[in-house]
Amino acid sequence: MTTTVAVAARGLRRQFPLEGGGIVTALDGVDLQINAGEIVAIVGRSGAGKSTLLNLIGAIDRGYEGELAVFGQELRRLNERQLARFRNRQIGFVFQSFNLLPGLTVGDNVMLPASFGAEMPDTMVRTRAHHLLDEVGLGDRFNQPPMQLSGGERQRVAIARALLLEPPLLVCDEPTGSLDTATADQILQLFQDIRQKRGTTLVLVTHDPAVAKSADRLVRLERGRIVGTTLEAP
Amino acid sequence: MKLRRLLQLTFQNLRSSRVRTLLAMVGIIVGTALLMFFLGLGQGLRERVLNRIFPVNQLELEPRAVQLFGTQQVVGQAPLDDSRVKQLAAIPGVVRAFGKHKSAFPARLWGGRELLGYNLFTEAFFDGMPVEILRAELESFEKPNGKPASAQKPLRCDVDLDCPAGAMCQDAMCQHVVWSQHWRDTTVLALPCNKNDECQSGTCADGHCQLPNAQPLVRCMLEKAAGNGRDLEFDAERGLTAKPCDAAGGFCKTEQPCPERMYCAADHPDSTLGYCEEPLPAVINPLLLEVFNSDMARSLGAVPVGSLAVLYGVRFHVAFGDSFFTQDAARPMQQYKQAQVVGFSRKAPELGVALPLPVVAHWNHRLRGNDSQGPYDAVLLETADNEAVPQVITAAESLGFSLSRKSQAARTAGAVIFFTALGLVLLALVVLAVAGVQIAQTFAMLVHERRKEIAVLRALGATGSDVAVLVLGEAAMLGLLGGICGVGLAWLGAMGVDAAAHQWLANVPLLPEGFFVFPSWSAPLAIGVSLVCCVLGAAIPAGRASRLDPARVLAEA
Repeated sequence: MTTTVAVAARGLRRQFPLEGGGIVTALDGVDLQINAGEIVAIVGRSGAGKSTLLNLIGAIDRGYEGELAVFGQELRRLNERQLARFRNRQIGFVFQSFNLLPGLTVGDNVMLPASFGAEMPDTMVRTRAHHLLDEVGLGDRFNQPPMQLSGGERQRVAIARALLLEPPLLVCDEPTGSLDTATADQILQLFQDIRQKRGTTLVLVTHDPAVAKSADRLVRLERGRIVGTTLEAP
Repeated sequence: MKLRRLLQLTFQNLRSSRVRTLLAMVGIIVGTALLMFFLGLGQGLRERVLNRIFPVNQLELEPRAVQLFGTQQVVGQAPLDDSRVKQLAAIPGVVRAFGKHKSAFPARLWGGRELLGYNLFTEAFFDGMPVEILRAELESFEKPNGKPASAQKPLRCDVDLDCPAGAMCQDAMCQHVVWSQHWRDTTVLALPCNKNDECQSGTCADGHCQLPNAQPLVRCMLEKAAGNGRDLEFDAERGLTAKPCDAAGGFCKTEQPCPERMYCAADHPDSTLGYCEEPLPAVINPLLLEVFNSDMARSLGAVPVGSLAVLYGVRFHVAFGDSFFTQDAARPMQQYKQAQVVGFSRKAPELGVALPLPVVAHWNHRLRGNDSQGPYDAVLLETADNEAVPQVITAAESLGFSLSRKSQAARTAGAVIFFTALGLVLLALVVLAVAGVQIAQTFAMLVHERRKEIAVLRALGATGSDVAVLVLGEAAMLGLLGGICGVGLAWLGAMGVDAAAHQWLANVPLLPEGFFVFPSWSAPLAIGVSLVCCVLGAAIPAGRASRLDPARVLAEA
């Protein structure tokens, strides 16, 4: 059986100019391969380059050197519009602070990714949003404003939003960072279910040992370099 | 980005920053309201004030005069006759052209007793106008919406005064009269003359012009010489009388040997002999009534005249050759006649009376001698629309004509109104531009506050242009709402000004029904300008939003 490569990075390097002059290197020659269907946790201290790596994999930053392909697509070759379309179709984002739009209802938040370029009929988008909310246990909250939900519920709405267009890759930045332990466990279970049902690849940046433990593989970053990977998380 | 979603996000954003949005809209609302207000005011002043006094598409032209020894002289030009009028009529954009003759002789008139209770006396000025030009206009005044204004149920009567305004007593019944039909070439008139060349057509016989194909004039005799015209009275029942006639102060009854609707017009003030003739058909400008009703009536202690309709059929006297101001003509050259109001026209002189052209031409000729400029001394042109006016003036000038003082004044007044309105509109545009700057600041702040939200949208697949469209859409919505509110405010302001004007300026002459005319394009234009100001104001913040680096913003968050 052939294994599909979800993310392939070779010699990946990302530098940022400093305001007062000079350059800081956030990633320095990262080589990484993530297979489709894997759950990979990226860990490391603050400033190690975790979020930078996640942003590059999530195609919201392409100012890198080296090679980076997501599902075989070299990101640097895409123009701005193509990259946005790529993000829209191939990648789902889950943030630590949920980032739901407060003025929209839960359902509208979930349907938001379909607003950008997706050629899907409105009725289908709505049906799918209902279905996803059912799946994360919030089917009855479709018309509620997100501010009325608890933290865990909001994160589940964010996950439903990330899954609307069925992207093969979910990138999650500290997905349980704002949640209590019990709620975090529920979210981790949800990630497992998603991978199980859909074969979705998950890349998680975390400080939480529980999250790291739930991953198939753990990538440890230090000063922009990978200093260790384990096939099975400890 | 899908339109429905764009609108949804736009409304959501506007709602979430309600106070700031409303504050930003204040400038736009005020600017749009001012723009709309001044557009309406400028148009209103042109249409409802200026156009009532000087119809814009109506030009009065005279042969170009040169300054010669301190006076205006027309030299070296062919007489102003029908061929030259036809030349002017052929100018592209001209609908009609006709020659007119202004009176250049002394005359005075008096009358109004039957209406006001006493006679008014004034020096008289006349414009002679062709019948065919005024007929349609007289009919439009007399029959608004195609129906006679004075159509009434028949009433029994003994004299005209028993009948409602505009009707006349015929066969003991009040009959509706189509007054415009009294304005005709065939009016039986006795025009005095001493020799043949005083008569425009026909010959001079028995001291009067005998016109070809005209009804023969009937000789009549007054019982007593009319005497000084200032003592003449017109009474509907008794006809022309002189007072006092006897010691008891009674009226002298005059002979009335003339057919119905005619009277005996003495050959001259000292003669008892005359000819039967119909009253001169007279057309007056409706503005005259407005001027009378405003200040004149009050200062004369008279009651304002309610409507034009009551003036139909009112008779007054005209003394040709007699004047309050200048040297009278020799008494044998003078003649006292009756005239009757048969209609209203904006082409008639504002402070004078329009009479059939041959009458004015005749008296000019009789009292001022040969007129070297031909049968006309001015030409009135009507253009198809206001836009054609400048080209028509240029073409007319190349034919040796220039605008009369009246038309020049109209053009000047029009230009003053135009440039004043333009200045005020520019002021409104400046207010809108300032509001646009305010919008720019507001949106710059909003974009900064929503950086994270924008970054999330970008992460979810929005392109930079999607984000820009979102910000511009929000600005457009603001412009649209602000524009609609501004237009509403302008309308309310206009209504308020009109109401205040009628409350406080009721006695000002020529006060229009309203000072504002909002053309159909003005509201869309004002809203469009408001929209453009907002969109332009938000353009720079929208550009910044579209270039926002989502990775950096999310990292900051």
